[in-house]
Amino acid sequence: MNLTLLLLPAIIMFIVSFLKNEKVKYLLAFTSFVILVPIIELFLVPKPYNVFGSYLIADKLDTYVLLVSSIVGIGVTLALLTLDKHVKVSPKAYRKFYRFFAIFWIGLIFSILSNHMGIYWIGLELATLSTVYMIKTNYTPAAHKEAWNYMIVGAIAVSLILFGVILMYASAKPILGEEAMQFDLLLAHAKEIPSPFLFEMGFAISTIGMFVKMGFFPMNLWLANIERASFYPVAALFSGILESAVVVGFFRFSKIAMEVNYNHLFIFVFVYTILTIFIVSFLIFRAKDFMRLFSLSGVEHMALIVIFWVSGAPFAALLHFGAHAFLKPALFLSTGVLESRGKYRIAGALRGYKGKRGQLFWILVSLFLLAIISLPPSPMFFSELYGFGAMISTAKESDHMLAMIGAILFLLALLSIIFYRFVSIYQSMKYEGKVEEKTVYASELFALVIFAVSLMALLLPASLSYLKSIA
Amino acid sequence: MVDFLIGLFLASLIVALFTTRLFRLLLWYSMNSLMLGILALSIGNSIDDKAMIITGIMTIVIKAIGIPFVLKNLSQKFHFVRQIIPEIKVQYAIMLVPAILVFTFYLSEPITHMIHTNANYVAISISSLFLSLLLMMEHKNVAPKIVGFLSMENALFLLGITATNGMPMLVELGIFFDLLMAIVVINLLFHKEELKV
Amino acid sequence: MIIYLLSIFMLVLIAPLLLSYIKAMKMVLLFKRPVSILQGYRDFSKLMHKETILSEETSAITIYAPFLVLSPLIIVMFFLPPLVQGSYYVSFVDAFTITGLISLSTFFLMLLGLDSASAFGGMGSSREAFISALVEPAMILTIFSVSLMAGNLGVGQAGVNLAEHFPKEHMASFLFAGISFFILLVAENGRIPIDNPETHLELTMVHEAMTLDLTGIYLAIIEAAASIKFVIFASLFASLFMPFGLEFSALVAFLIFIVKLFFIASIVALLEVNTAKLRLFKIPNLLGLAIVFAFLSLITFYVLGA
Repeated sequence: MNLTLLLLPAIIMFIVSFLKNEKVKYLLAFTSFVILVPIIELFLVPKPYNVFGSYLIADKLDTYVLLVSSIVGIGVTLALLTLDKHVKVSPKAYRKFYRFFAIFWIGLIFSILSNHMGIYWIGLELATLSTVYMIKTNYTPAAHKEAWNYMIVGAIAVSLILFGVILMYASAKPILGEEAMQFDLLLAHAKEIPSPFLFEMGFAISTIGMFVKMGFFPMNLWLANIERASFYPVAALFSGILESAVVVGFFRFSKIAMEVNYNHLFIFVFVYTILTIFIVSFLIFRAKDFMRLFSLSGVEHMALIVIFWVSGAPFAALLHFGAHAFLKPALFLSTGVLESRGKYRIAGALRGYKGKRGQLFWILVSLFLLAIISLPPSPMFFSELYGFGAMISTAKESDHMLAMIGAILFLLALLSIIFYRFVSIYQSMKYEGKVEEKTVYASELFALVIFAVSLMALLLPASLSYLKSIA
Repeated sequence: MVDFLIGLFLASLIVALFTTRLFRLLLWYSMNSLMLGILALSIGNSIDDKAMIITGIMTIVIKAIGIPFVLKNLSQKFHFVRQIIPEIKVQYAIMLVPAILVFTFYLSEPITHMIHTNANYVAISISSLFLSLLLMMEHKNVAPKIVGFLSMENALFLLGITATNGMPMLVELGIFFDLLMAIVVINLLFHKEELKV
Repeated sequence: MIIYLLSIFMLVLIAPLLLSYIKAMKMVLLFKRPVSILQGYRDFSKLMHKETILSEETSAITIYAPFLVLSPLIIVMFFLPPLVQGSYYVSFVDAFTITGLISLSTFFLMLLGLDSASAFGGMGSSREAFISALVEPAMILTIFSVSLMAGNLGVGQAGVNLAEHFPKEHMASFLFAGISFFILLVAENGRIPIDNPETHLELTMVHEAMTLDLTGIYLAIIEAAASIKFVIFASLFASLFMPFGLEFSALVAFLIFIVKLFFIASIVALLEVNTAKLRLFKIPNLLGLAIVFAFLSLITFYVLGA
């Protein structure tokens, strides 16, 4: 079990993508499935496991995130098989998509497994740059423009992260030397950092970089526009995988920042996320198409994950994260079918499915839609319960109990706006509009089933106790 | 000596802000990177750090010569607009640039008390970060935006060199690799491909 | 005292030489046969012998103004930092006085242009006013910031202090001030990116437009004033931004200073060959840069101390 084995499928995918054969499409999809095998193996070995010296260390959090990401990757690959039935895409674009998908995987594995701020950043930048080209596989002027947009805003965000990383490194270098970039050493020596102000400044800057990348305030709409312009599997990759890499970085940095000064971290993140949810909820209320709706709701959930994590409920954050990582790509993939009769037709999108496949499809999609607004059997329901509970219990220890309750009520009010919007959209999808026939292909349905099964697997007692053991 | 180089670094960035021609902008970017490379070489020489010297040589070869050359070729191949007039008028830029400088200098004052070696350079690298953001903001065309992004990378590098006396070698090589990847992606983005089904 | 007077005299004497040197150098760089570097003196003596004709529309100003253009510049010559160690110098004159005297000279030059009542004169004056309004703030800021670095507001004393104790720790702000001052040197003397001293095309003239109607002795005085102005700027640049070589014996130090002046002139010539003249409304870009650098030098010195 080593690094080569982890990277091998991606490298094979990269090489195979240069072959010009009709059958290559299936070979590429197959290699993309194979990525799961070494990751499951990594999941089973005892933790922490040194993959590559002290630079890449697999611990429980890493492998959980990596497993979730690889399942999402498989679902996306399945949906890619029938992409050309829904939208116009050239075979060349297909191969290029997979070429950059391979680079994306390499960057992702590095950034998720890294125990080193520098390597985390390198992996993230690699993943960001490779997604730029994936957006452009859609040969439209809008996609071209948005690819540039993503390139520039993404580069600024990632540069901010590096800037913060350098400041944090500078703050800890006097005590740790060259090893001040390693997360575990930093965490162990967090209390001894000689200049906490410098560390907090670096943390704040890199956090703002990450938040911009996840579409938080003030860049709420840029992800939505980009996902609208690109193909739906790309949007699924963004919400399912790339954001998970960013959020893992936030988890690691904030763990150290909690040790340095918990109050500052909490207030900073709390204000930032509430502001984000405040704006996003109204943006969702005005969303007129599926892509923007789902992408904005992704921003909202990311904000919730972040707020749960910093308010001392890592279990809730991880559960919410897993549930979101499965639900959102599933919804994005289903937009391929939902929008097959025009982009902005919400009314009637869930009508007109014939046969067993169609039946299963609309039932699954409606379940997903109801699950994303955390109706009870969904894992999000439990994670939000845990999360708000943890926020109250954190506030109990301080004197801000009343403020915290007010904040939670405010958050719930905002969430109810989103809830209302989703329910009304669901009603209009199901009960309004004309009945138009839409076809569902087996591979997409299979992807949705995979996501549904893994969602249910999240609720198994074994997986819940695994998540608790991470926390 | 280091002060002098750092002054030239900031000066070339400020001149780049007022440039209205693409090739001149590339020249100033190249000067900016050259100063960064010489700075890395001289600091590396004085603290006897081999990694920093390698970084300096790589900076000069890749950033000061390679990237401007590639960008110039790209601009000729894809017929960029070579007259790049800033969106922010000069009279406002004259007020804006000093304002940014004062702001960042005061912003980084608490930091300069904490870093004992080369404290001022942190302030200058933060201000050059802001100035490269301004460079990205004040142009509508893509090419100057790319140059702005690259000079932002330079500002980060300056911070890495001066605030921490050089980052670990592995990280610096990785940053260079990502930069090359960025150039490849930029190259690909310029190809306007038509839909052939 | 004798060295002081002698050095001022020598500088005044050398002034036309420098401008002819720039001209000759440019011609060499353009592969032309260069003019003699003594051409400046020849022109001067030729103009002195020529008949002086005044236009009918002119008033008394045209008779007085050339002297009033020259005399403030001559006064400034007395306030420059010393060229040689141990020589007498005026220590208390600060940036405002020097800039003020130079603008006084410019003011009379503009009056002269207006007084000729030709279309070109007024145009040249308005352009000159436009440029010098942008030059002055930058110039005050630059000299001020250098004087602060040297620890004395008097320009003469500042030059001495810089030569005795060079502020290595303020190298960055020193550099910014140097860049700013060089741009001002080019702008205020009407060299190429701002104004072309050789052209008589009405679209581009600034300095020439104002002196177009002058003849004979008045033109000679104005030309002399222009070359003295260049010497003032060049020697300010040399003693504030290249403060070395004063500790040698008087003759060697003076020779070193002359070499510095010629070095500056060569750089100006190189710049003139390599750049095109800016459009009039692009000039604020360049001078704005000078203002930004001057301000930057001041705040870098104040806030960072670098």
